[in-house]
Amino acid sequence: MTDMELLNWARGPALEWATIIFVVGVLVRFLEMSLLGRKPDLSEARASAAGGGWRTVWRRSIPAPGLVKQAPVVIYAGYAFHIGLLIALLFFAPHILLFKDVFGLSWPALPFFVVDAATVIAIVALLVLLVHRLVNPVRRFLSSWVDYLVWAVTFLPLLTGYLAYHRMILPYTEMLAYHMLSVALLLVVFPFTKLMHTFTIFVSRWYNGAVSGRKGVQL
Amino acid sequence: MSQLSDIPVTVTVLQAGADAAPHGRALLMELENQLRDLVEQGRESSIDLRSLPLSPGDLAFLEQHLGKGEVTAEVSALGPSTVQETAIHGVWWVRHYNSNDEVMAEFLEVTQCPDIIRAHPADVRDSLEDLRARLVELE
Amino acid sequence: MSKRPTVAEHLARQGVSRRAFLKFCAATASMMALPPGMAPAIAEALGQRRRPAVIWLSFQECTGCTESLTRSHSPTIESLIFDVISLDYHHTLQAAAGDAAEHHRERVQEEFAGEYLLIVDGSIPIADGGVYSTIAGMTNLQMLEESAKGAAAIVAVGSCAAFGGIPKANPNPTGAVSVADIIKDKPIINVSGCPPIPVVITGVLAHYLTFGTIPELDKLGRPTAFYGETIHDRCYRRPFYDQGKFAKSFDDAGARNGWCLYELGCKGPTTYNACATTKWNEGTSWPVESGHGCLGCSEPDFWDAGSFYKAVSMPISDLGKLGLAAAAAGAVAGVAVGLHNRHVKAGAKAAHKPLTADELEGDKS
Ligand code: SF4
Ligand code: SF4
Repeated sequence: MTDMELLNWARGPALEWATIIFVVGVLVRFLEMSLLGRKPDLSEARASAAGGGWRTVWRRSIPAPGLVKQAPVVIYAGYAFHIGLLIALLFFAPHILLFKDVFGLSWPALPFFVVDAATVIAIVALLVLLVHRLVNPVRRFLSSWVDYLVWAVTFLPLLTGYLAYHRMILPYTEMLAYHMLSVALLLVVFPFTKLMHTFTIFVSRWYNGAVSGRKGVQL
Repeated sequence: MSQLSDIPVTVTVLQAGADAAPHGRALLMELENQLRDLVEQGRESSIDLRSLPLSPGDLAFLEQHLGKGEVTAEVSALGPSTVQETAIHGVWWVRHYNSNDEVMAEFLEVTQCPDIIRAHPADVRDSLEDLRARLVELE
Repeated sequence: MSKRPTVAEHLARQGVSRRAFLKFCAATASMMALPPGMAPAIAEALGQRRRPAVIWLSFQECTGCTESLTRSHSPTIESLIFDVISLDYHHTLQAAAGDAAEHHRERVQEEFAGEYLLIVDGSIPIADGGVYSTIAGMTNLQMLEESAKGAAAIVAVGSCAAFGGIPKANPNPTGAVSVADIIKDKPIINVSGCPPIPVVITGVLAHYLTFGTIPELDKLGRPTAFYGETIHDRCYRRPFYDQGKFAKSFDDAGARNGWCLYELGCKGPTTYNACATTKWNEGTSWPVESGHGCLGCSEPDFWDAGSFYKAVSMPISDLGKLGLAAAAAGAVAGVAVGLHNRHVKAGAKAAHKPLTADELEGDKS
């Protein structure tokens, strides 16, 4: 198979199947969760549930001071990774073209050097988190193979994207193909692992906050 | 149906800024190197303009900054060739055309005198014979 | 052994002066993408080389490659290359000669066995016994196999001969394949492009003619002198790419300012060819300079890489539509799973029996 055939396959069938699995998987999991139903809360509301929900969504996005002291690596590296990833994913001009192609929406891109820096930050942060996971005995004990799988499928698109952009190690065509294939892999793994938190995180924060908020407890 | 003349075509001439001539400066610096070698060591060299990714602006930039010198020569061998000394002595702009007047090769030569102008010793030798033969014919 | 004259003898006999020969060598060096200082070495090599015999076979093709080449066919430098290589058989150019040309081909193959250069343009259809393209009663496959036997080397000219090209594009009704798919035991130089740049064709021939060797090739069998870098790496619009300045349509301000064509589908980043330096039409211009993105014509399967106007970072297929269809399917599946779970939950609830403290005590025993 030539590099070009590989790239055509990645841009074609591979992404098609990955999209199908991703969309079906995510929807099934979402509907599964919401259709399970919740018991009606018959008590009288002490405060607004929605207010509590939004408050928690916001408050939980800012790390509690105690946590920062307790697990500085996880907090700092975790934030650095997520912010770096979002910048690279959403503000790289070629990515925006892809979103425009799929969703019909587009927005201005950030200059390449900014995206580049964000990518490096995300890559370094992920490496730090991996080392931390391996070195810290408790984290190591708590980690299953799925955690490493999730780490790998997140790391690969960042790494291959960076290498492709800088024309490193492999010819651009081949590296671009691997980049797209790694994204396809990420999409396939996504719905069936904790990667789902991308979508559920704010829903569950809101839910927790709302339940407590209704009882007059502010989280 | 709209006519061809209805389609608005505006020709914008690029300003000769850094954007229009991204390689211009680098080329001048390369020439500076080569000219220094010619002065200090007598080493001749040249730049193949067709082997570089030059924009139209780059060529204009070069023409503008090298200027026109004292010598202009035309050679006809397998189609015309033009040799133009630039205002920088020792830097020659050499263009080889085919007989359809299409540019086949284009060089900036850094030398006292481009080879294409010099008569080749073997050709001179042959011509000596030739001239002698003509003299014989005259007798 | 061939009794053909050396290249220099041949030129001298045609009344070409040494000055003209020098010009020829300088232009040849430029054509071969060699440093200008190589001209004397070329002159020397050409003084010793004998004129090689050449057979040119045209298979399933559009004649664009031959057209590209003969476009620059005037009695000058490039044509001298053809003069000196002695083109013994060109199917398209000699079609009118009919049988005589075929016999000549056979004679050359015999007389110069092991020495002649075989040039092929067009792909070879092999479906249904190769009936889709035949010449003088022979299928292309038969003719290629026969002519390849005695060839010193093969030059596959154009993307069709090199990679299958447009005939091989989905769904490939004729079963088109490339030369390298069939011939495994000869050195093959792929000169891809649809069509290839004429100067690149002559440059490759000039290399073979001058040095009698195969130039350095890349993974896909293309000479690295011409296909060593991508269009994008040598594109003069590259600074705009790096600054993120893109033309968004073919007639916006960006397009008029000569900004990068990436968003308009330019395949320059994944395409290896010499257009950006050699340019087209005797160095007049080239596609990107004229304002249109590269189509990727010198790469395998460029015809199957989706729309020419979709950027390389975009998927080939319409993932938006596909995603909607998948969403519909996902919704149905999700509801089904959800209902099933409710059913299980209801069942569990119904089967639930309250425990008494006594029962728990009993458990302890
Ligand atoms: S126009 Fe095409 S080849 Fe040139 S810089 Fe832009 S993407 Fe690259
Ligand atoms: S610019 Fe691209 S598509 Fe156009 S001729 Fe060159 S390689 Fe082919």
